[in-house]
Amino acid sequence: MKRIFILALALCLISTGSVFAAGKTVRIGLMGPMTGPWASEGQEMKQVLDLLAEDINKAGGINGMQVEVIAEDDAGDPRTAALASQRLSTRDVVAVVGTYGSSVTEATQTIYDESEIIQVANGSTAVRLSEKGLNFFFRTCPRDDEQGRVAAQTIKKLAYKNVAILHDNTTYAKGLANEAKALLVKEKDIKIVFFDALTPGERDYNTLLTKLKGSKPDVVFFTGYYPEAGLLLRQKRELGFTAPFIGGDATNHPDLVKIAGVEAAKDFYFLSAPLPKDLPSAEATSFVKGFEAKYGNSPNSIYAVLAGDGFRVVVEAIKNAKSVKSNDIAKYLHTKLTDFPGLTGTISFNEKGDRVGDVYRVYRVDAAGNFILQP
Amino acid sequence: MKTKQIITAYAVTIILFLCCPAFLNRYWVDVLNNVGLYAILGLSLNVILGYAGLFNMGHAAFYAIGAYTAAILNTKFGVPVLLLIPVAGVFAAVFAAVVARPIIHLRGDYLLIVTIGMVEILRIALINDLFGITGGSNGIYGIGRPEIFGFKIKKPHEFFYLIWLFVAITVFFFNRLENSRFGRALNFLREDEVAAEGSGINTAWYKLLAFILGAFWAGMTGVLYATKMNFISPESFNFWESVVIFMIVILGGSGSIMGVILGAFLVVGLPEVFRDFANARMLFFGAAMIVMMIFRNEGLIPPKPKKFVLDA
Repeated sequence: MKRIFILALALCLISTGSVFAAGKTVRIGLMGPMTGPWASEGQEMKQVLDLLAEDINKAGGINGMQVEVIAEDDAGDPRTAALASQRLSTRDVVAVVGTYGSSVTEATQTIYDESEIIQVANGSTAVRLSEKGLNFFFRTCPRDDEQGRVAAQTIKKLAYKNVAILHDNTTYAKGLANEAKALLVKEKDIKIVFFDALTPGERDYNTLLTKLKGSKPDVVFFTGYYPEAGLLLRQKRELGFTAPFIGGDATNHPDLVKIAGVEAAKDFYFLSAPLPKDLPSAEATSFVKGFEAKYGNSPNSIYAVLAGDGFRVVVEAIKNAKSVKSNDIAKYLHTKLTDFPGLTGTISFNEKGDRVGDVYRVYRVDAAGNFILQP
Repeated sequence: MKTKQIITAYAVTIILFLCCPAFLNRYWVDVLNNVGLYAILGLSLNVILGYAGLFNMGHAAFYAIGAYTAAILNTKFGVPVLLLIPVAGVFAAVFAAVVARPIIHLRGDYLLIVTIGMVEILRIALINDLFGITGGSNGIYGIGRPEIFGFKIKKPHEFFYLIWLFVAITVFFFNRLENSRFGRALNFLREDEVAAEGSGINTAWYKLLAFILGAFWAGMTGVLYATKMNFISPESFNFWESVVIFMIVILGGSGSIMGVILGAFLVVGLPEVFRDFANARMLFFGAAMIVMMIFRNEGLIPPKPKKFVLDA
């Protein structure tokens, strides 16, 4: 009896998932890490998309059709992501926004491509993803090589001679570190004095910092994420190690200042796509206002905002191509969408689906812990 | 009379199960594929943990060796995937032999900690792009699909039959193993090592064999995973993966084949069933695990005590 009851319960749960809502709606999927180590990113991606969808629906929808966001959890893990994408592909979505990690996205690319669903990744910066000639793959985040180029340029412009590069062995951080290294090695007067990885998640980086200090760098380029960056800044100040730090866009998070403390975070440079608050466009300002009104804080993660941009370009494409067919949308995004006013600057795509144009800006943390856009 | 009924019941269930893909969509078939993969992994760990009672928390390492062997040989040298299944198994078995030999005399929790170390070392070695062939943290992309007489297995529905055929083969072999001299020896040393040694069982040798056999099977499963995903990266073989496999065996009932398969259904299937709870799905999953462990602390289907009938 108990077994039958459990079986019945399981069947009920299965069937609730597959009930389709009739009527004129456009379904756009969101695949993000709602659980797991990157859960905060996924949650915020969902908040952003919910807000944007709500606004569109209030304004009458896309060509009269309501938008529905269907979120699936990929748990930041390739195997779960493959399942999440299979599930989304059976739920009649036109396009999918996401996801965050590059290897997670890679596990889903073929599945979306075979099901002819548009995928707009928001945080997957690995170069290889768009080199496969997939017609339905796009991304709103720039690639690692682009960021590496900007990093090398910035270091050159600031006239540092001895450069230390520190990564954390994750796909993203190591990729970026390698790209930057390859470019900096070519420069005659720049020397790489240190290239190594830290173990993310530790509490004490004093040994590493002492070793780093011993290599006498003029500048340290850290390509990892904000929790480690914050700790490094705090502990380097305690050590009396004065070389400035430059971070990649994964250090762009308000918690960086909370972890490091205002004094230690001062004069930390990082590269990032511009934050919505620094963009003059009406879309960006109204988005930030709407987000603050709904959730009580401004968006923390740049990747969540990039997911919002992914959503907005898909909506724009459906609106102007007057079609919900993948081929029409992809064609529109590839060829017709130029300088679309996004939340993170203007957006256009090249034939590979990569975002084109200069996206990265240099930010500096000021004495009060604010992120100031550098001219 | 009774055995006849049981056989018909099994036959009907199997036939119904084989017809599943016709009624289910891609997603649920793929969930079943994942269940199948983990069932094989669980069964391979069952040899080590269930039969021999060795606490191996590093099973994902053998799985990873198999997957990476297949990925490298396939992408670099174009060896067909199906041929690689036994090859990858051998690689994983050799790795297990080399690694397990010095640690085989450790007991219970000590062995557990050493095997955790092993899986972590392997994962970090993979990330650091060992010998420049593992692709580092980016992993390896573009692993070929299995091909049988010109028919390429690509879709979840097609993988379903490949994977579950492999499950069937595994069940058949391990069932034979359970009733063999080898299987009985493993059970003996799990129950009482001193008594086993006293009865003339070379315990170190049998424990090592259990490790090698389990690793061989896990390595072969790695190939199936690699070709199904057509992409692998080190994060697919982390410590958590070992925990999941361990959990499948303990939860289902260590030492029992049916138990392990049921464990795979629950551990891999339940989080998917709970998808509609969105963010709370892992909470439900965890709660379900706790409840099951409280009420069935020997596993859901513990192995039956062995009966030997004497001919009158």
